[in-house]
Amino acid sequence: MTHDLKFWNRSPERDDSRRDFLARLGFALAASAVASCSRAPVQKAIPFLNKPEEVTPGVASWYATTCAGCAAACPLLVKTRDGRPIKIEGNAESVRFGGGTCAAGQATVLSLYDPNRLRGPLWHGEPASWSEIDARVKPQVAAASRRGIVLLSGTIVSPSTRALIAEWSARFPRFRHVVYDAVSFSALREATHACFGVAAVPHYRFDRAKTVVGIEADFLGTWLSPVEFTRQYADRRREGLSSGGVQHHQFESGVSLTGSNADRRVAIAASEQGAVALALLHRIAADARVAEPLPRVEVAIDDRAIDRAADDLWRDRGRSLVVCGSDDPSTQVVVHAINTLLGNIGVTVDLDAPSLQRQGDDAAVEELIESMNRGDVQVLMTYGVNPLYDFPDAERFARGMESVALSISFADRADETANASHAVCPDHHFLEAWGDAEPIAGSFSLAQPTVAPLFDTRAAQDSLLEWLGKPPDFYSYVREFWRRELFPRQDRSRTFDEFWDRALHDGVYDDSAPRVERRYALAEGWRAAAGAIAADHQRAVSARGPDRYELRLHETVAIRDGRHANNPWLQELPDPVTKLTWGNSIAIAPSVARSIGVATGDVVRVVAGDRSCELPAYVQPGQSPSTVSIALGYGRDGAGKVGNGIGANAFPFVSASAARRAYLRTGVALQRTGRHRELALTQTHHSIEGRSIIRSITLDELLNERSEPAPERPSLWPEREGGEHRWGMAVDLNTCTGCSACVTACQAENNVPVVGPDEVTRSREMHWIRIDRYYDGADDDPGVSFQPMMCQHCQNAPCETVCPVLATVHSSDGINQQIYNRCIGTRYCENNCPYKVRRFNWFQYAGNDRFDFTMNDPLERMVLNPDVVVRSRGVMEKCSLCVQRIQAEKLSAKQEGRTLEDGRIKTACQQACPASAIVFGDLNDPNSEVARLRRSRRHYHVLDELGTRPNVGYLMRVKNAPRGEPEPL
Amino acid sequence: MTRWRAAVAAGATACVLVAGFVCRELARVGVHQGYAPAQPIAFSHKLHAGDSHVPCLYCHFGARTSRHAGIPPSAVCMNCHGLLQKQSEDIEKLKELVAERRPIAWIKVHNLPDFVYFNHSQHLLAAIDCQSCHGHVERMTRVEQQSPLTMGWCIDCHRMRGGDPNAPAANLDCGKCHY
Repeated sequence: MTHDLKFWNRSPERDDSRRDFLARLGFALAASAVASCSRAPVQKAIPFLNKPEEVTPGVASWYATTCAGCAAACPLLVKTRDGRPIKIEGNAESVRFGGGTCAAGQATVLSLYDPNRLRGPLWHGEPASWSEIDARVKPQVAAASRRGIVLLSGTIVSPSTRALIAEWSARFPRFRHVVYDAVSFSALREATHACFGVAAVPHYRFDRAKTVVGIEADFLGTWLSPVEFTRQYADRRREGLSSGGVQHHQFESGVSLTGSNADRRVAIAASEQGAVALALLHRIAADARVAEPLPRVEVAIDDRAIDRAADDLWRDRGRSLVVCGSDDPSTQVVVHAINTLLGNIGVTVDLDAPSLQRQGDDAAVEELIESMNRGDVQVLMTYGVNPLYDFPDAERFARGMESVALSISFADRADETANASHAVCPDHHFLEAWGDAEPIAGSFSLAQPTVAPLFDTRAAQDSLLEWLGKPPDFYSYVREFWRRELFPRQDRSRTFDEFWDRALHDGVYDDSAPRVERRYALAEGWRAAAGAIAADHQRAVSARGPDRYELRLHETVAIRDGRHANNPWLQELPDPVTKLTWGNSIAIAPSVARSIGVATGDVVRVVAGDRSCELPAYVQPGQSPSTVSIALGYGRDGAGKVGNGIGANAFPFVSASAARRAYLRTGVALQRTGRHRELALTQTHHSIEGRSIIRSITLDELLNERSEPAPERPSLWPEREGGEHRWGMAVDLNTCTGCSACVTACQAENNVPVVGPDEVTRSREMHWIRIDRYYDGADDDPGVSFQPMMCQHCQNAPCETVCPVLATVHSSDGINQQIYNRCIGTRYCENNCPYKVRRFNWFQYAGNDRFDFTMNDPLERMVLNPDVVVRSRGVMEKCSLCVQRIQAEKLSAKQEGRTLEDGRIKTACQQACPASAIVFGDLNDPNSEVARLRRSRRHYHVLDELGTRPNVGYLMRVKNAPRGEPEPL
Repeated sequence: MTRWRAAVAAGATACVLVAGFVCRELARVGVHQGYAPAQPIAFSHKLHAGDSHVPCLYCHFGARTSRHAGIPPSAVCMNCHGLLQKQSEDIEKLKELVAERRPIAWIKVHNLPDFVYFNHSQHLLAAIDCQSCHGHVERMTRVEQQSPLTMGWCIDCHRMRGGDPNAPAANLDCGKCHY
């Protein structure tokens, strides 16, 4: 006893005795028990004062509008929940665009909640009120009627806005409207005007073309109207299965999304675009028996590649198409000549209803700078453009702006140009504004607000109306325009209100007036253009030398010309080809990388004339050895908290000579810096090592060989009891282009966090769906394949067997469920998943200053989908097959007393896919589309040999063998 | 020695009791059964739903179509109170707020955790009475949370098919509510 007491009070002089410890422990336990009995914080529920009829809390409303993410102006449906737009979807009512979108379009909803948007107008950088701004601007505008007012805008696809600008022209004789596209299509417009007398970009119809030849035109990724073109391209590949195959030849310097989808891709030097076009013209002219001689140039590529392309074009004449992304008018003239000789004009090259998506005029911009320097411009308004960032000689533009008496920017943020302007009059986000669009002549769509303006912003059109002395009500203006211009041209609706309501409901309206088919004769002068190409080519050849490269500048699918730089979803979207996130790089051919001794991540200095920049190298298989490529749109310093300082700005490399901008430089030197920067890549291994993960089949095999379906392998697992449904998915690799719209759509739908470049470097990105890209073959001419990869929802799921807490289990309808509130984060499931599709929350990504991207600011969190949980630290997550959408559709079928038809449930990835490559449905229903595809000979499962029996399957890509020669095995 | 034993026994009993109390309290963390906060306006369900037989869905109309039953907009109160002569302090307060165009900040009684999805309209469709989960609200002067709203409680009802053996089986998949 005494001994024990001694033990208890072993060290009376020390104050941290065992007794004290126990006392503290007891207190802590009691305190925590008492604390846990206390109530959770009081939550308020604040109802409407007077509920609007069409809004029910918890029920989504949908509005048809038009995307302003780029000038392609895709029609959209916007999902709003409790007054907040939370998801963008394509408008399936549109015949031309279908229901697809692109990644950038999907992400525009996040830009609405961008905390770097201006809260109201600024005057000399200080907050001001609209009445103050108007009081200062109006006298200047009135005074400027003598000296000149210029509106510098991007391409304006809105016909009502164009009408409004025309009113300015009528009112002020010295008013000029200059259209400036950061990535210019001026050469193509110029050439179309020179050849056919139409000053527009033609509307291309890839769906009508059996053979497509692309020369440095990334029409599936960034060129002109990618969503529409992807849809057409997928349609023609699908049709090709029954019509004997289609052919796509691509000649390009870097590896674009389009090139990686081509049946035959040929790497060319960037300066050889004209030479390739001319070589094609030679062959086609010979086939068409054009007698006159044309200048010849030597092209440094295999003649047979040109021959094959020309043969395919000629064989499919009248159903073929050559498109070219060149910024040289002569090259575009030659391409027009080829299309004319092939009889493609009016079939695949539509000039009667041309595209209005790019109208930039390089010469007019040059002229503007000169007149600014002369002091001829009193008022400069910049709308939808940011020349101080993306004009190649931004300093020259800035100097010109200094001599302008009043510069006004309509930018939504204090960007590079807005910072140098006297007044910033922030425009609405397009989801807050009225508007309309006519992306292709005769094809209209309406834009309506989906939310009241979040800030004290004003539509740019309202500002223009106000300063013109008209009521600032662009809604009435659009309505009036439609009443005046479009209503009389149709006979479907009797009253205007009926017409307007229908157009507003559908979102799209196609002009039903009969088209006047004109005959287009090619103007003379194309022979001169051929001569100009030959001379240019000589110059480019002479600029070549040892250690001299060409530089090609291109847009990326995500950031485009830099306008989306502050969008975290897009910064973290892996580039479809390089798989690079958060920045740009210099793409270098493997042979060049070896010879100059750089590896991926080594920082290289690029020097072109007096311009230089430092960027990490990216060794790109398939890159032309004579050319390096850099993506535009990075290196912003006026974008905001996310986009500033990411990558380097490549716009200064754009050459602006003789009133046209060219996105290529010759005589570029590369210097090693000896530094290394880890790139935030989501894929670092590029070969499937000969495994049959991505399978393809030739058309001949598909049509002619009969083979029995492989018998199902035996399994040690007991058969699963079937439920009412068995949800499954089929992904058609034949039409998937890898465009990554699905990745962003999934991110938006499922509240997938953005983790930032450091975490991506540690392979901790959270995307539920990724697009795997693999190379095969030689690294100077690799085959490229894409495969969307998400949870395969295995019937015998390896993840389910290893979870110690049953946090991942199978549902009765075939879904592999992840139960976040059960998960304790052992990550056993992630390790046991053969598809590597599970994502672990290493951190608390919501409400964490360290991850200040999409879920930190309360404003950003408005984009979250309230039907999906925001996961917390320490839990696993993965694709749920959009279970919330399944449940919602099941419920609405039940509520409306109907059976759940096939195709009603669309997962977010499926809905966004412009190629309709993803099909979701019930595998238990033999008549469902997904069950039909599963019976296809092209259907297979990835890693079938493991016996996981996935509910997600793939359809093999069909290889279009070159005609007339057997496909080498 | 006996006293020593008695002391040990008493101590052990005390420990067991304390442990039992702690465990019971811990198991009730986040369970707010019996929660009946005072509301900014002393609205009586007994008077409205009970004595006056106003149907639940007249005010909580959201339950028909939405996951949220919702609290009625003040305009719904005014449907009747705009006409009724009867006055009280709280009705005055309501009318004042409506005149000032200020919504009423009610205190939420039934709170489900964020990680569970619950849809009122779905349960209405399965003909589950409001009272099954909310208790006899029509007898409550001040609303009180009667059910524990725990997962075990949900599952019990799903297993019992809402008490109707002829009803279609309620789904027990985790992913039915957790996503």
